[in-house]
Amino acid sequence: MDFTLSEDQQMLMTGFEGLLSNYRSAPHGQHGYVCYSPEFQQELRDSGFLEIASQPGFGLLEAAMLVEEAATCPISVEAAASMMIGPLVGDATGPVALVWHAGRPVRFLAQARTLCLFEGDDVLVGDAAPRDIEALDSVAAYPMARLRAKPAGLERLTGADAAAIRRRAQIGIAAEAAGLMRGALDNTVAYVKEREQYGQPLGHFQAIQHRLAEDAQIVRAAKLLALRAAFEDSDRQAAIACLYAQDAMRKVIYDCHQFSGAMGLTLEFPLHLWTYRLKVLQGEAGGRAAQGRVVSRETWGASQVGAAAEPVAEGVA
Amino acid sequence: MEFGWSQEQEALRDRLQAFLDASLPADWEATASLSPGSQAVTDFSREFCPQLADEGLLCSHWPEEHGGSGASAWDHFIIGERLWEAGEPRGPQYYNVNWIGPTILAYGSEEQKAEHLGRMRTGNVVWCQGFSEPSGGSDLAAIRTRAVKQPGDDGRYLVNGQKIWTSYARLSEYCFLVAKTGDARRDVSVFLLPMDRPGITVRPIYSVVGDGDLHEVFFDDVEVFENERLGPEGKGWEVIRYSLDFERVGIPRYALAIKTLDRAVAELQRGDAFVAEAEQDAALALTKCEAARMLVYEVVDKRMRDRPDTGSASVARFATVCAERAVADFVLDWTPHLFTSDEAPMVATHHKRAIAAGLAAGAAEIQLNLVARDVLGLGV
Repeated sequence: MDFTLSEDQQMLMTGFEGLLSNYRSAPHGQHGYVCYSPEFQQELRDSGFLEIASQPGFGLLEAAMLVEEAATCPISVEAAASMMIGPLVGDATGPVALVWHAGRPVRFLAQARTLCLFEGDDVLVGDAAPRDIEALDSVAAYPMARLRAKPAGLERLTGADAAAIRRRAQIGIAAEAAGLMRGALDNTVAYVKEREQYGQPLGHFQAIQHRLAEDAQIVRAAKLLALRAAFEDSDRQAAIACLYAQDAMRKVIYDCHQFSGAMGLTLEFPLHLWTYRLKVLQGEAGGRAAQGRVVSRETWGASQVGAAAEPVAEGVA
Repeated sequence: MEFGWSQEQEALRDRLQAFLDASLPADWEATASLSPGSQAVTDFSREFCPQLADEGLLCSHWPEEHGGSGASAWDHFIIGERLWEAGEPRGPQYYNVNWIGPTILAYGSEEQKAEHLGRMRTGNVVWCQGFSEPSGGSDLAAIRTRAVKQPGDDGRYLVNGQKIWTSYARLSEYCFLVAKTGDARRDVSVFLLPMDRPGITVRPIYSVVGDGDLHEVFFDDVEVFENERLGPEGKGWEVIRYSLDFERVGIPRYALAIKTLDRAVAELQRGDAFVAEAEQDAALALTKCEAARMLVYEVVDKRMRDRPDTGSASVARFATVCAERAVADFVLDWTPHLFTSDEAPMVATHHKRAIAAGLAAGAAEIQLNLVARDVLGLGV
């Protein structure tokens, strides 16, 4: 147990910050729902950071650190699935898209080289032809698209192989959510220090201080749980980290918007670039209910009374 | 950064567990269900702590010259985590090893160290903490108990005032007393006061947290001497802050909370009543416990490196309060009969101990003030 970065980890994070520094603020005049940068994605791919989990001396823990850090940028980039799942599906450079329900909106689907289609306990892995993909306009701050038809030739992974992909997806969601929450909170804290009402900064009001302090606790815990899950790479810790993030993000999203006032509703103010990614992650991988079932099964075992079935992928018309 | 345990740490856990298996009596859970300040638990602690000390597990993190083995803060925490989960067989003596002893180590004179640390490390002395007063609870600087230096060169003070909510006071031999020694708001000093001094009156306060945990303590012209003052006169605030950072995460409360949650879930499973909604509530409560665990671990790690704390103890404390509430609510929602019966004594005990978590060591809202100021920079 050691909460201090090792020398190698420090060097890694310093190098990564060098890459992120170009993407720490949204471009001037940004007015879209999405702020996705193909250059950012390309630079991430070319830098080799996406392959960190396979590098000697590093592993999933370092991958989760990078995912969390990248998510604090307002510009979205696909890092989590590439870093966590890429090594399992033979795609070292991504992007990787996670299709929880065929036919429904998916993050990064149009950009992905590999997709993982969850179908019951199995995962179908492969790529999709552009004709199978329909880009979607959405309020989400991820580029969204959906499958028009289930791609042919996907490889079916079952058992432990499929479970590992699901587990890594949960860890990726947890780490990305932790970083997104941190980005949203930092942006909000900066805002309440500047914005004055009743003759003083909003951040001087205790009602606001307390809720943001609660959020600071959530943000820190979410990160530590995600990193521990990556370190252990276990079903139990992955589900705990994912459940915590998906549950706690609801309060963080609400508070950040509440204290950013109407500015938080505008597209020129970057808050939505974090919170409208979080809102997509809130229900991914089956959301809190699915994560709760895994936590329960992995902690207390035994059969459950009246438990709903695991969500299964829907067919595409 | 990594989240594993060393072989030595795993071995320490095994060794402690073997010791507990051998030393805790069969009816320990019934005894433990009484409060740490009860006569029974205090008496038990006077048998248990010396045995723990003989095993080198009571104060192992203290420096070797003071009877420790120089073990890491992690080793001490691993021990504390398991003991709290087991119902805290150290009774009120966890105070000594967790924070009163370390504070004396940091601020005490050689004479004070010799006098107090020896008894603490052999496991046979009970202390109480004289902080809160009717006029000053969370706002500790508003206390009125005053220690007034007397004329002459014998270094004598007279203490007058009242403390309240004082845990373990009735059976204590010493009080870690904070009193005003000047007029400025934070002009306070800390004294290591023997509780058998004339002029001290202790009255129990009967409460829902258990017998022996809460008292009023009255000081009526109580003598205390310069050589019993911990640190310089008027500089007690620094001493208190140092000790509170230990106290705020001194108790790994999430450990008993998780054990309680496990017990409640087992009860539901036995009755074939662990329905999906209960599973969800239990899983959420568990995540809050694990969040508290990680934040407490982070503070322990910082302490081990002797790095200055910047609000992380308050972050961890608030998370702990949330975890305690989540588990207490789970029990009340899903296994209310365990709360009101003696079927599972430790479940009701958890509730008694949990309910104070948001008050002791500074109310939860005070922790949020500190987080807002020290972590977020939202000072007024």
